Amino acid sequence: MLRLADWWFRASHIGQPILFVLLSLAFWYSVSRIVLGWVNYAALAKPLHREATPGRSVAIFTTSARGEPLAMFERTLAACRNVRYPHTTYLLDDTRDPRFRDLADRHGAVWLELLDVPGAKAGKINRALAQTTEELVLVLDPDHIPFPEFLDRVIGHFDDDRVGFVQVSQAYYNQSRSFTAAGAAEQTYAFYGPGQMGLYGHGACVAIGANCTFRRTALESIGGHGIGLAEDLVTAIRLHAAGWKSVYVPEVVSRGLVPEDLGSFYRQQLKWARGVYEVAFTELPRLGGKLAWRQRLSYLTIGTYYLFGVTTLLFLLIPYLFLWTGVQPAVMRFAEFLTVGAPVAVVGAVMYLVMQRWLCDRATELGLHWRGLMLKVACWPVFLTGTALAIVHADIPYIPTAKEAVRGRFLRLAWPQLALIALYAITLARVIGVRALGTSEGSLELSAEAVWGMVAFATLPVLASLGALYAAWQARRLPSNAPWDDVDVTRIGGVQA
Amino acid sequence: MNRRQRIVLVTAFVLCGALAVLGLAALSTATEGPLSSALGWLGAATGAVEHRIRDRLGGPPRRETLEWLEPYRDDVARLRKPDIVLLGAYDGGVPRTLDGVLALESSITAPMALVQVYGAWGDKPEQQFPVGVLTAITGLGSIPIVTWEPWLADFESARHPHLALRDVRDSHGLAAVARGDYDFYIDTWASEAARFERPFFIRFGHEMNDPYRYPWGPQNNTKEEYILAWRRVVERFRAAGATNVVWVWSPHVAYEYWDLYYPGDAYVDWVATGVLNFGPIAQWSKWWTFAEIFGTKYPRMAEFGKPIMIAEFGSLAVGGDRAAWYADAIRSIPRDYPATRALVFFHTRDDQTVTYQKVDWTLGDSTVATAVRDALSETGLACRSSTPCPR
Repeated sequence: MLRLADWWFRASHIGQPILFVLLSLAFWYSVSRIVLGWVNYAALAKPLHREATPGRSVAIFTTSARGEPLAMFERTLAACRNVRYPHTTYLLDDTRDPRFRDLADRHGAVWLELLDVPGAKAGKINRALAQTTEELVLVLDPDHIPFPEFLDRVIGHFDDDRVGFVQVSQAYYNQSRSFTAAGAAEQTYAFYGPGQMGLYGHGACVAIGANCTFRRTALESIGGHGIGLAEDLVTAIRLHAAGWKSVYVPEVVSRGLVPEDLGSFYRQQLKWARGVYEVAFTELPRLGGKLAWRQRLSYLTIGTYYLFGVTTLLFLLIPYLFLWTGVQPAVMRFAEFLTVGAPVAVVGAVMYLVMQRWLCDRATELGLHWRGLMLKVACWPVFLTGTALAIVHADIPYIPTAKEAVRGRFLRLAWPQLALIALYAITLARVIGVRALGTSEGSLELSAEAVWGMVAFATLPVLASLGALYAAWQARRLPSNAPWDDVDVTRIGGVQA
Repeated sequence: MNRRQRIVLVTAFVLCGALAVLGLAALSTATEGPLSSALGWLGAATGAVEHRIRDRLGGPPRRETLEWLEPYRDDVARLRKPDIVLLGAYDGGVPRTLDGVLALESSITAPMALVQVYGAWGDKPEQQFPVGVLTAITGLGSIPIVTWEPWLADFESARHPHLALRDVRDSHGLAAVARGDYDFYIDTWASEAARFERPFFIRFGHEMNDPYRYPWGPQNNTKEEYILAWRRVVERFRAAGATNVVWVWSPHVAYEYWDLYYPGDAYVDWVATGVLNFGPIAQWSKWWTFAEIFGTKYPRMAEFGKPIMIAEFGSLAVGGDRAAWYADAIRSIPRDYPATRALVFFHTRDDQTVTYQKVDWTLGDSTVATAVRDALSETGLACRSSTPCPR
């Protein structure tokens, strides 16, 4: 790492100064992400299981909104009833659809109609808190089907009076249904395994909108559940700032849905990208003083995650800039860059594989996660949009993560990828033409390393684009049945109660 | 935070980052990763393959104009005792591009059999074995000359703790070379040279007898130290199997006792010197003819019984008739200096090695180029496929 830094920052490497600065920032941002990952893993910790104390009063909140499919709630509410620890299930409903009320009645859930509440899901939760009295509240996303043992794995941790919330892992049951679903799920494996366990070790667990159990008094102490695009993250930070502790239980005790089509995935990512910046721009400046430095570092890491979009754009443009105009941000020999960068990359990759030991469900989650990486790289326009919106403080409308795949619209989703691939093809054709016919013999061999190095550099994101293109194409013909059709709620689960 | 605060914050971060980047770049010193040489060979191989593809698509390669060089190119014994005069050039565009060499040879209608590059000792990437440039030169059909300069102070103290500190390293530095302190570097070059296989020239530690120029001069070293260092280098190359290297010993003959630096017949293949007419641009110089610079020293040079190379050949424009200078010099070579076997043009626009302002050695205007072309053609020094070289 030091060797890489020593090598990178050589005055003789500066080509075009402004571009060199931009490239350096992008490159070292990326390297710092790897290092921050290690810092996080260094604190890796797993809480000891605590038996659930009988007699606590527990509520499960799940919300329904217009357009969400009734059949999905059928499974969720049935599974909620099967959760063993005594509890009351509430359906927080604003669909104005009487069938939802019937459904709640059939499954023994309490139907709460909460119309015209601002703040979407979080607003409904706060309103429901005011109408209920339970000491502990599990906020469950409606696509998540809880296992019967869910509460038994969680409740015991509240014996410690300082614990404000307990988060469990998030897993899915539909990741095998499409390339997008597989990739989107792959992107989350490391986070819910070693990632969150490291955050727990740093005392900075992140509450995920789904599957988080809160202590009522904790939520009340911060004026209720946070509202906004990153409501879950914001809530976690505020609870920590108010002095509450948190626990992360790295166990799969429910399974939900991951976006199956590229459009839903993009929408979800845009929402996250825009929302997560609120941590950096709003929560940390306001509450940073009340957090420990380890918590601050962890949340800053999360809050700047989506700068990935900006750096990817830069990395993307550099080879084209060079191949078309000859402008080089850095005068570095390509071969040298590979040599110096390789150790960092290799150590990074090895760490990544070693960390797979701590995945929550190793049977299904082990692997290279190449689809996740492809989607992440191809997602740069989405991340970039989110970043830009955050900087100018503009809103995107609240879009619930699509619970059911939206079919079609290949071109609308695929045009950024198609444009990139077209640019690549044109550039490659031009390079070949120029070098076969238009380059003087005296310069040909001496420029080969630089030119073909840049072409190789331009090829990597194109591979990712091909993956996204495939995902967009596949979105036209997803399986026709609903993902929950195959789920049998009486046979889900498996962790010993 | 509102919009204005956000934009200010982001801008502030970018600016701070930019300052940090530039500051670090300004502070740091150079180092070089040892593994990059493997990739250097890969890059050279890519370039060679591409060149071959281009030849097939883009018409006759330049190599064909040097067809007559074929018997010499891969025969190191012949290059040690050549029976023709080889023309060559160093061009300021090297190692970025060889186009300057090609432009020069077309302006004087004489294909350059030799192309000279300069390489300094040290840790930096450009100080490692220049396989890319050498491959490109041989790809064009020419034979490379590497003028190899032992700038000992370019090695980082931190990376080479066994070396003397940098500010005192040059003092008797060649004794340290002779002792083997620099074998780590010499051996890498030697094994890469052996791996390169094709013959090429190395002109090591040139102008070793000039006390005002280079740190390997007599202000820092004795003659004996120079000779032992030279022998050490040659022996390390031979031990590594680099028998494809032709060794060029190149003193500055304007200074007395240059001949005392001769490392011995067994260690030297060629004897060389530079012949540069600076004209009256500096206090120490005036307009000298070729005979005044070279002719007076030629008899002693020829006594070594080795082929002679004029390794840096040129005249500046101020102070005399440049075209006549070149024509006279070229005409005199086969007539008066028959042991001369190589004439290497020094062809660069902005040379600042000995003068305070940049001087231009390029032939420039067409009368000079025409004079050179005619002289080369008359004397038969410009070998071409159509007009074989006189033996």
